[in-house]
Amino acid sequence: MTCKKALENKSGILTNVENFERDSVEAPRYSCALAGVYGTTLGIRGGIPILHSGAGCGVGQLFGTLYAGGESAGGNEGGTSTPCSCLVEEHVILGGEEKLRNLIESTIEIANDDLFVVTSGCVPSLIGDDVDQVVDEFRDKAAVIHVNAPGFKANSLEGYNLFWDAIIDQLLPDDAGDIEEKTVNIFGIVPYNHVYWKGDLLTIKTLLESIGIKANIIFTQKNGLDHINRIPSAEYNIVVNPWLGVRAVEKLKEKYGTPFIKFPNVPIGAKQTAEFLRKVGEKLSVPSQTVEEFINQKEDWNYRLMEYPGDAIILVRPNSFYAVAAESSYAIGFTKFLANELGYLPDIIQITDNPPVEVRNEILDEIKNNLDTVVEPDVVFEADTYKIRKNLEDRPFLFLFSSSIESPTSIEDYNALHIPISYPIYNKSVLVKHYAGYDGGLTLVEDIVSSFVGPL
Amino acid sequence: MPKQIAIYGKGGIGKSTTTSNLSAALSDLGYSVMQIGCDPKNDSTTTLRKGKSIPTVLDTVRKRSSDLDELVHEGYNGIYCIEAGGPEPGVGCAGRGIIAAIELLNTNGVIDEYDPDIIIYDVLGDVVCGGFAMPIRKGIADQVYTVTSSDYMAIYAVNNLFKGILKYSNNGGALLGGVIGNSIKSSLQEDMIKDFTDKTDSDVIQFVPRSPTVTRCELDGVTTIEGAPDSEQAEVYRNLARKVIDNKNKFLPTPFDNDDLSDWASGWINKLLVNEKIEKDNIQEGSSGI
Ligand SMILES: Nc1ncnc2c1ncn2[C@@H]1O[C@H](COP(=O)(O)OP(=O)(O)OP(=O)(O)O)[C@@H](O)[C@H]1O
Ligand SMILES: [Mg+2]
Repeated sequence: MTCKKALENKSGILTNVENFERDSVEAPRYSCALAGVYGTTLGIRGGIPILHSGAGCGVGQLFGTLYAGGESAGGNEGGTSTPCSCLVEEHVILGGEEKLRNLIESTIEIANDDLFVVTSGCVPSLIGDDVDQVVDEFRDKAAVIHVNAPGFKANSLEGYNLFWDAIIDQLLPDDAGDIEEKTVNIFGIVPYNHVYWKGDLLTIKTLLESIGIKANIIFTQKNGLDHINRIPSAEYNIVVNPWLGVRAVEKLKEKYGTPFIKFPNVPIGAKQTAEFLRKVGEKLSVPSQTVEEFINQKEDWNYRLMEYPGDAIILVRPNSFYAVAAESSYAIGFTKFLANELGYLPDIIQITDNPPVEVRNEILDEIKNNLDTVVEPDVVFEADTYKIRKNLEDRPFLFLFSSSIESPTSIEDYNALHIPISYPIYNKSVLVKHYAGYDGGLTLVEDIVSSFVGPL
Repeated sequence: MPKQIAIYGKGGIGKSTTTSNLSAALSDLGYSVMQIGCDPKNDSTTTLRKGKSIPTVLDTVRKRSSDLDELVHEGYNGIYCIEAGGPEPGVGCAGRGIIAAIELLNTNGVIDEYDPDIIIYDVLGDVVCGGFAMPIRKGIADQVYTVTSSDYMAIYAVNNLFKGILKYSNNGGALLGGVIGNSIKSSLQEDMIKDFTDKTDSDVIQFVPRSPTVTRCELDGVTTIEGAPDSEQAEVYRNLARKVIDNKNKFLPTPFDNDDLSDWASGWINKLLVNEKIEKDNIQEGSSGI
């Protein structure tokens, strides 16, 4: 049952990029479309989800999305306070529109929020509730959108894409208005599902600020609706993911002509961050001197810092093999950082977010063509936890970078030290911690070295 | 255990008319009968109730009432009339409504309490989703009857129903009791329906002629059995009733593939058209003599 049988050799790399198909998945590292919209909405401050679904859909995501995202509760609008139409058999048979209408009305009345995201789950989609029409009745009373996100339609990550489809199609005006120079919007980091989203987004914002660019990161920011309304006036859109947020930036280009810059991943560590800043700086006509000065100053201290744990790494775990199991964007970022900045050896990279077939080769090429190492890793697209674990058997890696699902047994099963870097992470409280940018790369080094030094 | 049968057939083909007359005839023969309309239109039992409709099972769900006495209403000759009911047109899920209604009737002892000799389910149109197949699943009806005319689309629907029966037959679902040929105007139409049942390993249990008596009684809000008990048509329904009681047949039909069905039908339709033309010409010749 090892994956090797299913893998084919694609220009030197073993992969299943062409033949990854699945009809059942054990413990996938994502939830359903509704969950993705729910988490994304909760990432917006002043955004409130209104679930049109059974009661379990919301409560389930308290455990399946919120706690899974670094033990984060949902705030005033999430968790058990989420407005939900709690559909029961009566509504399945007779339709749930009336109950939803009452729920939207009362939510607008009592919630101190600005953006109301009506999210349809499986039940209304199956029975054909005309939710659009119900939502239409409220459009002049509040900023309200409808995201049709039945769980059977897609996973939680695609839910992020569905959220942006709805914002762009239903909320944003037809006309961009005045374009504000040196401003960008950031897409591709999914609240909760990308566990380090808060810190990563804020880091990208600060980095770009340092070279004179104002980044609208939308999530984490006070008055989220204002930030959403500002999206059309950006000079550029930036997406840091091979597939999440890509549809949004393409739509925005079509609607407002806003050009976009696409990165395959969130930049992790000095090299990727410099590359990121240079490319953005160039597109937005930031003088290259400004960019280079900032990079030099950051790299100077960054690489001095890297020297501190240098002895521990070289004496105890030099040039170690590593395995990664993570979402596309982070899998790419971590893999490149570990190989290119620590000199570690990539053994197997598993992409767990089930990206669409069309982008799988892109992901594969990104990993294949950007590693400074003689070792070529296997790149496997796999969402099934049982198979992910099977794929890790009998391999040389000493470090495993993945979800907290592997934490308790990583030593026992694979003799590998475990670093939790991808969804779900139930064994860490994640607030400011992040892996993006200069500090992020250094944080990863801290985590790695901390896993093998000591104990006294 | 009561005998439980389900009547299926294309929309508007005469299921409710036939079912109600069958119930009335069975009741006259001395059986205690329960008729359950499985259709959101809520019109299965109206001719048993002087043209008046009754509150439905799903109305009680809608009102969140737990008063199960509201579910069963006595009709002609003490027949127990139940309507499953369902959502307004265009909303909700009627299929789930049928499932919920039948579950409610079975789990709350409603059927046990009345303990009828025979229960007849009158089920809407084609078996469009799982909900409408509920009565033929294991543990509900034991025999299915389908009503059809000689129209191609009606036979097409019967053929589809046969596929549904096959699907559930492995799991102890209902099997076919027989085909009821309805609205018959010529012996050629009978031949066509008979040929269809021969080709699909099933059988016709009764041909019911098209009759103005049925329409007249319906307008008076009664069945033919009640409104015209001495008519020939009433005798046909009584015949059907006697056969249903005695009928132990459980066919596992062999439906046509869709293409084969249309090939088979086109031959018959040509014959029927020619036949119709001849009849029409005869009438015209006759009238020209006046
Ligand atoms: N044998 C018959 N002779 C004359 N009229 C008939 C005969 N059978 C049915 N009809 C008429 O056809 C019409 C439709 O019949 P009915 O309502 O019983 O059909 P149905 O199959 O129950 O329809 P639905 O699918 O809408 O429930 C009625 O007006 C009925 O009087
Ligand atoms: Mg009817």
